[in-house]
Amino acid sequence: MSENLSETLSVLILLSSFVLMANKRISSYIKSFRIQSMLIALAAGVMGVRSLLDEGRWDILIVCILIVVLKVIYIPGLLNRTYASVRYRVEKDFILNIPILVLVCCGLVVFSYFTLASIDGSSQGMSNMQLVNSISVIWIGLFFMISRKKALGQIIGFLVIENGLYITAMLATQGMPFIVDLGIFIDLVTFVLIMGMLTFRINDQFDSIDTDQLNNLKG
Amino acid sequence: MGFLLLVIPIIALLLLFILKPKRLQHLVSVSSAVLLLIIAAILTHNVILYGAIAYSWLGGFFYLDALSMMILDIVLTIGLMAAIFSIGYLEEEVRQDKLPAPKIRLYYMLMVTFIFTMILALTVKNMGLMWIAIEATTLASAFLVGFYNNRYALEAAWKYVIICSVGIAVALLGIILLHLSSAGILESGSFLDWTALYANAASLKSSVLRLAFIFILVGFGTKAGLAPMHTWLPDAHSQAPSPISAMLSGVLLNSAMYGIIRTTAIVNHNQGSSSFTGRLLIAIGILSIATAAIFILTQKDYKRLLAYSSIEHMGIIAVAIGIFTPLSIFGGLLHMINHSLTKSMLFLSAGNIMQKYDTKQIFKIKGILKTLPVSGTVFLLGLFAIAGTPPFNVFASEFSITAAIFNQSSLWVGMVFILLLAAVFAGIAVTLFKMFYGEPDSTEAAAAKTGEINILGTICLVILLAAVTVGGVYLPETVRELIIQAQGIILGTI
Repeated sequence: MSENLSETLSVLILLSSFVLMANKRISSYIKSFRIQSMLIALAAGVMGVRSLLDEGRWDILIVCILIVVLKVIYIPGLLNRTYASVRYRVEKDFILNIPILVLVCCGLVVFSYFTLASIDGSSQGMSNMQLVNSISVIWIGLFFMISRKKALGQIIGFLVIENGLYITAMLATQGMPFIVDLGIFIDLVTFVLIMGMLTFRINDQFDSIDTDQLNNLKG
Repeated sequence: MGFLLLVIPIIALLLLFILKPKRLQHLVSVSSAVLLLIIAAILTHNVILYGAIAYSWLGGFFYLDALSMMILDIVLTIGLMAAIFSIGYLEEEVRQDKLPAPKIRLYYMLMVTFIFTMILALTVKNMGLMWIAIEATTLASAFLVGFYNNRYALEAAWKYVIICSVGIAVALLGIILLHLSSAGILESGSFLDWTALYANAASLKSSVLRLAFIFILVGFGTKAGLAPMHTWLPDAHSQAPSPISAMLSGVLLNSAMYGIIRTTAIVNHNQGSSSFTGRLLIAIGILSIATAAIFILTQKDYKRLLAYSSIEHMGIIAVAIGIFTPLSIFGGLLHMINHSLTKSMLFLSAGNIMQKYDTKQIFKIKGILKTLPVSGTVFLLGLFAIAGTPPFNVFASEFSITAAIFNQSSLWVGMVFILLLAAVFAGIAVTLFKMFYGEPDSTEAAAAKTGEINILGTICLVILLAAVTVGGVYLPETVRELIIQAQGIILGTI
């Protein structure tokens, strides 16, 4: 039963990154990111309960609570506040049109399927398809960063990469050592704080948070 | 004893937070750097005598062996030089109204955090924790890169954090795959533990491990400034305050390289040969040297030129690790030390030049040797040293790497390598040496009176120059012993 559940969740997480890619407004990026984090917290919760019942380990459940506190509540709230104070006249933000972006994302999923299919031993522990899904989330996050011009879009792209990495670690290897997870969370929060502050300063200096304007240093 | 390495920066951070007066701030920064260096010297002695240092408490995460000790020594030595140089540098910046005086405190706090994260990266044996510490180095230095808070500095800081964080995220994927390759082989207590991975390398899953290596090479390679992921480096190095540029170049790049070296050792041990990692490392190394050569030839900004030269030298180290013979590893490790000393000396003297002339443009500067007799001389000799002229130390290590390439009978690699080094030499000669000739303009001479500005910093420069020169002809026995032990760890002969 729980096998099926985590299979479903991994597909839903992949789907949420497609939804993110199809967003046009910065405020809806933050919503999509929040939904994706909720799904990841759910997946961690399922896994945590299972490991608690089987082996009596509490650490995955603690991580699950941390995900809820940080990625579902704190970081989206922080991004919303940043967004509210640097609101730009045109809030639509994408370079190519949406159907093409989504098609490229499909291509990325196929790409990760073929990379992983040729590797023997990658299906260790969990089924191979979940690994394909979660690694696709990483590539889609990376592609999202490239396809958006505003500073906030790039921050969210990075957070999606981080989500993808987390879910890969969880599904492929039953979680990293607890202390590593903890450290990654600390890094993540610091990253968001620093990037938020830099966004403010860029907004002050350039009167916009369009990263296309950051092109003075060359050669 | 080893834990003091991690405790002292934290105490220093607290003191910097409490103590407001400028003098005390300078004092705390320098004295913590001195203390760290003394402890490192004692630890180095212990490592040489007894091999690795590991403590069982705190989950056994603290671990130092000859390889990490060697790089840690570089970090702390350059850290001390940068701390001493910062005093005069910051006072001058405040005097010239480029920085408000209260920002000195922020500068020191960030710098101590930066050093702390680098110490952490080098003293843990868990690859996951090492990753966290290396990511933390980016975050700690982000505001140092953007310290001047103008358009250019902010652009550099933004690029620096975004590119390095994404790169390092790719490295995390590699580390997850490394973890996956050991599934079912390691006990849960030793997950991602470098020593355990290395000891069981033969039974790890080769195909997953190869994939992991590619991701780790790309990820940490971004941080180490290897082409084509180097694009953040010239911006960050040219915009940061000079003592920070010296630390970024001389220290930070080595810490990232250290991650690559550790992984290479595991993968080669698993594969039984170095042909897989070797090809990748040599290719990426040669590409870095070539990229740097092109940009050095056409460079107009001397700090950017020095940054490109760092990319070149990281490429040389990557090639040396890729060849993977005892001689090339020895040369590569020695080159790390030599490059760090020489490059930080150059960045520090470039800081003096920049404060005197108030420009980074090469063509606006004339007659350095007249206006800045000591810094100018150090800069000139440093340029010869970094280009690899004897008798300086970079020549010695480049020579052993070249010899190792030809011993390995990779004739083509060797020829391309030498040609590119020659091109870099020519590039430095053509672009930079015009700064030394000519008379300083009369108007400029009025503004920039002759004489040094940063006396303490200039003494540091002279010490570094002495080390660079002596290192070319004579290698102290302790250093040699440390490098040979580190070489044994990488090659698996100890």
